Parts: sequence; C-alpha cells; structure tokens
Amino acid sequence: MSTPARPFIETRSLSRTYLVGDVRVAALDDVSLAVEAGRFVAITGASGSGKSTLLNLLGGLDTPTAGTIEVDGSLVSAMDREALARYRRFGAGMIFQSFNLIAARTALENVELPLVFAGVDRKDRTRRAADLLDQVGLSQRAGHRPPELSGGEQQRVAVARALANGPRLLLADEPTGNLDSRTSREIVGLLAGLNRDRGLTVVMVSHEEALVREFAHEIVRLQDGRVVAEAGEA
Amino acid sequence: MKFGDAAGFALASLGKRRLRTFLTASGVTIGIGAFVCMISFGKGMQKNVTAAFQASDLFNTVIVMPGGPKGPPSGDPDRQGRPRRAETGPSDAVLDDEAVAAISRLPGVTMAYPDISFPARVRFGGEEEFRLVQVMPAAVTSSRALKIKWGRAFASDAEAGVIVSRSFLRRMGQRDPAAAVGQTLTITSVTLELGRLLSGGLSGVLSGQGLPLSAEAYDFPVLGVTDISPFGDGPNPLESDVLLAPGPAAGIKRLPISSVWDLFRMQSGRLGYSAVTVRVGSIGGLESVGSRVREMGFTTFALADQFAEVTRAFYLMDMVLAAVGMIAIVVAALGIVNTMVMSILERYREIGVMKAVGASDGDIKRIFFFESGAIGLLGGVAGCVLGWATSLVINRVVNFYAARQAGVPYVDYFAYPIWLFLGAVGFAVLVSLVAGLYPARRAARVDPVVALRHD
Repeated sequence: MSTPARPFIETRSLSRTYLVGDVRVAALDDVSLAVEAGRFVAITGASGSGKSTLLNLLGGLDTPTAGTIEVDGSLVSAMDREALARYRRFGAGMIFQSFNLIAARTALENVELPLVFAGVDRKDRTRRAADLLDQVGLSQRAGHRPPELSGGEQQRVAVARALANGPRLLLADEPTGNLDSRTSREIVGLLAGLNRDRGLTVVMVSHEEALVREFAHEIVRLQDGRVVAEAGEA
Repeated sequence: MKFGDAAGFALASLGKRRLRTFLTASGVTIGIGAFVCMISFGKGMQKNVTAAFQASDLFNTVIVMPGGPKGPPSGDPDRQGRPRRAETGPSDAVLDDEAVAAISRLPGVTMAYPDISFPARVRFGGEEEFRLVQVMPAAVTSSRALKIKWGRAFASDAEAGVIVSRSFLRRMGQRDPAAAVGQTLTITSVTLELGRLLSGGLSGVLSGQGLPLSAEAYDFPVLGVTDISPFGDGPNPLESDVLLAPGPAAGIKRLPISSVWDLFRMQSGRLGYSAVTVRVGSIGGLESVGSRVREMGFTTFALADQFAEVTRAFYLMDMVLAAVGMIAIVVAALGIVNTMVMSILERYREIGVMKAVGASDGDIKRIFFFESGAIGLLGGVAGCVLGWATSLVINRVVNFYAARQAGVPYVDYFAYPIWLFLGAVGFAVLVSLVAGLYPARRAARVDPVVALRHD
C-alpha cells in the first residue's frame, strides 16, 4: 500500500493580520491550500482579497500570524530571518507587477543579483546570467538598463532573475498588471513554458480571467482573505 | 555574499552619488586633517626638543648648588619652585674651589666647573648693552654643549677672546655672524674703588653721592659665534650671550658678588659659587655621582630628570591636541550617520528588492558597512594629505617669519611618523564604521514587503 505523495506547497489554517492604527485587519484568514509539484496555479480575486499577502507568505517575504506553510518539505513558517533569506535565494523565485529591477544596474547585473547573494564567482555568475537572458530572448539587451527596456523586456529580465539560483517554485504577483494584452500573453506563456518544460511549480496571482483559464491548471479564488473556490484544470 | 561583491556594491552606490559622497568624505577629511596636523605638531615639538637635549650633552649633566634649605641656591628666593626636582642636601657646605676639586675627583665625573658670571657693559660695533658675561672653560666650549657655527672655541683656558651668540650680534646690529669673528668686543666691568671710599668717607656714600665705583674696559677679539636654537637649549646652563675663558676672566677687576644674597653668604663666611656644572661619563653614573655630591652637603639637579617631566608634558600636549582634532572627527561621524540614513531612505525599495532575491540581513549590513568604511577610508587618506599639506604651509610661513624676525635657522616644526598616517586612516575607518553601525542595522531590518511597496 503506497502512501500518497505530499503536496509541494501546503498551507494549514494560514492567517495574516495587520494592525492599522488600533484596528486589527485580517488580510488572510484560515487559508488551507495544497499544490502538487509541477502545477501552474492561479490565484484570483478582487483587489484586497489577500492574493498578494498569500504570495508574499509563500515567497518568504512575510511571516504568518497563525498557521503553517510547508514548501518542498521545509516548514517556511517556522524559519528565522536567515533561513528565510536562504529560502528566498534558492527556494522560490519571485516576479512582481512593477518588475522591481534595480534601475542603475544593467539587465545582466539584475539577473546576477541572486547569484551575488549566493556567493557565486563573478565569472560563473556572468555566464549563468547571460545564459538565462538568452533563454528569455534578451541576449541582445543584456547591457541595457531597465529604463531603456520595454515593460515586456523588463518582465522577462525579472523572470530570468527569478530563475537564477534554480528554484523549484516560481511565484508571480500580477506579472501582467503593467503590460499590454499581447505582452501579457507572452509573459504568461513564458511562465507556462517554464512550468511545462522544466517542471517548475508556478503560482501566479492575476485578475485576468482569460489568461488564467488558458494557462493555469488550477484556479484558487480568494474573497476577503478566505478561499471561496478551487477549480480544477480549466 | 563575497567580500569583494559587498565592496563593489558599496563603491557603486557611492559613485552614483558622487557629490554627497565627496561632501561627507570632506567632513572626515577636515577632521582627520586637523587631527594629523595637530598631532604632527606635537610630535614635531617633542622631536625637536628631544634632539636639542640630546645634542647638547645635557643628559650627562648634574647641576650642583649650595646645600640645604637655609638659603636659596641663587637668584630670587621667592621663586620656591626652582629648581623643581632638586635633591636638597642638608648642610652649610660652601661651594668653593675646594669643593669643585673634590667633586672633580669623584668616580665617574669627567668635568666640573663653576658657574661664574658677572654683569658688565658690553660694546660691539658701536652698540652697547648690559649683559651677564659667563666664564666658561675651554673644554666646555669645544664640547657638544655649545654649538659654535662660526669661528672656533677657546683653544685653552688662558686664551683671551670671547664667544658670543648670534642673537647678541643681531642686537648689536651685526647681521653677518661670520664677519663678526676677529672683530673686537669691549667688556666694561665695575669694581669698588677703595681709594675713593677712604678719601670721600662713608658720610659721602650715605648722603647719596653714590658708591665709590669705577669702571674698567677690556678688549677681546671675537673667537666664535654660537647659532640660535629655535627651541632654546632646554635648561641649558650656557645661556649667556657672552662667554669668556677662565684665564682672562680672572684678570678682570669686578665685584665678587652677583646678587645681594651673595652679601648674606659673604657675611656668614659661606660665599662660594652659586652653581657648579658636573659632567659624568655616562647617564648611568648620574645617580651615584648625585648621591655622593649630596653626601658632601650640596643640592643636586639632574637635567635628565627634568627631561622625563618634559616628556610627560608633551604627552599631555598630544592628548589635548588630539582631543581638539577629535571634535572635528565626531562632527564628521555625525555627517556619515546622516548620509547613510539618507541613503537608506533613497534606496528603500532597492533594499527590498535585494532581500526579495535572497539578501540576508548580514549581506545588507555588510554593504552599508562598506559604504561608511569607504567614506572613512577616502576621507582618512585625503585628511592625511590635507594635514600634511597644511602643516607644510604653516611650517614655511613660521620659518619665514622666524628667520626674518629673529634669524632662527630653518626647522621642521612638524613630524610625520608613519604610524601617525596609518593610525589616522585606521581611526577614520574605525570612526566611520562605528558611525555606520546604526544605519547598517536599520537597513538590515527593512521589511521587504513594505519596501517593495515603497515608491
């Protein structure tokens, strides 16, 4: 009798509350979720429903008020600051709506950034960063700084950066929020390709129903910090 | 994160904000510049005074004075503190020729000569002034104790001639010391004329007609000229402007006293020399000679002891100068704190991005530490250059005026030991790192979620 495989991501009774003045606001309330390895999961919901909070918790940028998060067998919710930094470095790559590239650094240097914190030699990291930029189709733009790149190009640089240390989990927070529909499709297609070709687990926050339906294996809907629906393959 | 990468990040950040980096580092530069300038001045003074001491053989010298607390050794009895570190003997021993001879015979003593000086009118090149003429053995004038730059020392104790100081010649209007050698100097001494005292009677003296004194002039060639020492000669007993050998000095008719105190001593039959200078073979012999002399009932005063006090005084001076320099450095440190905190606010989002891609608290701290350390290093090195350049300018200006006003030869008033520069740069970096402690800690505690939302 074989035991069922543990989910790649598992949250149990996850809550996150913030103090706004004297008022305690629950951004996430009792969220339990399980994501199998190699899945492309979309999280949707209205603005303020807790999508980004959930993603920040999964990415180790934030810590829960209550509940647990387990990713790839590691209890992320119990990690100290140092362990969380290591998890962000190697365990989960993040992509943001506003790209979050460092404007003063070239595309190549931005992709190198996670490798710098991983202590990779300059020569090695330059080679790896150039290779990643090539994979996202930006080898010709490696020496350009973010302000010299289009929105789509910047997001591709951000994807390359998220992949730098070879994480098994890719988290994307509204990656198409600042892009036109054609570029949005390209970016989500790129994430889907990484999911399909490399077996990366992708969790993407988005409110673009059409894109989500086209690419995601599962859709999790949040409302007022709670999971209201989980849908299977679209 | 590797050391080199943290340094690279820090330098890139500083390079991006060049003006602010320059202004912040300028604060450190000025602070360290002031610090280096002041300490190098203190060290320069110490070096020069020490060199003056060492060059003059004075470490091997003991000054012997009449013994006991019953009377002042010489000069004004109200000046209680002088000589300060004198070892006082208890007796009524008289410091006469017999005592000088006895001291000369003590083991370890190479030379002992009395301090004889008398007031006289000295004329040279048409100018005249009252000076104290000092009697000096030939052996002393040819020793390192006296720096004869032009002409020569006395060939023997009997040689008729004088050695004068350059400052004396300047007062006499002679600017060229070399030209003075060979010229004639006239010493006019004053003596009691017993004949007049007898013929005029004591009533004449008491009625205010004046003492029966007569003056007699003696001509001597100038044999040598001593140079001006910019730091004096420490407590050098050879401080007179006009020196005469013992032989010709004996031939000059003069009053046997130099102060009213000598009259008291004369009355009690204890009139001797006011002081005797004793040279010992080595510095190690100072204590044994000193104690033997004290056993003879005299008071001794070793210049080496005073040098220790001078060293302590310089140490204190260094501390005061360093404290003044420190004020500027503390102000500079506050500038660094301000700049670094500003930098955190400006790079708030960047810090968030770095954390999001895996930077640890330690990595962020390291980057900010490197930034503040680099400001300190930059300011420290520039401060050393500034301090050095400033001291050079001050040195030039002071030397220019000293040479013009008093004919003082060129002197380096500042000293630059290598430890001063290394220490100053190290100190600048240390202060900067301490100044960077709070900003680095603050940067490390930035919440990435908040920072990534920051515009």
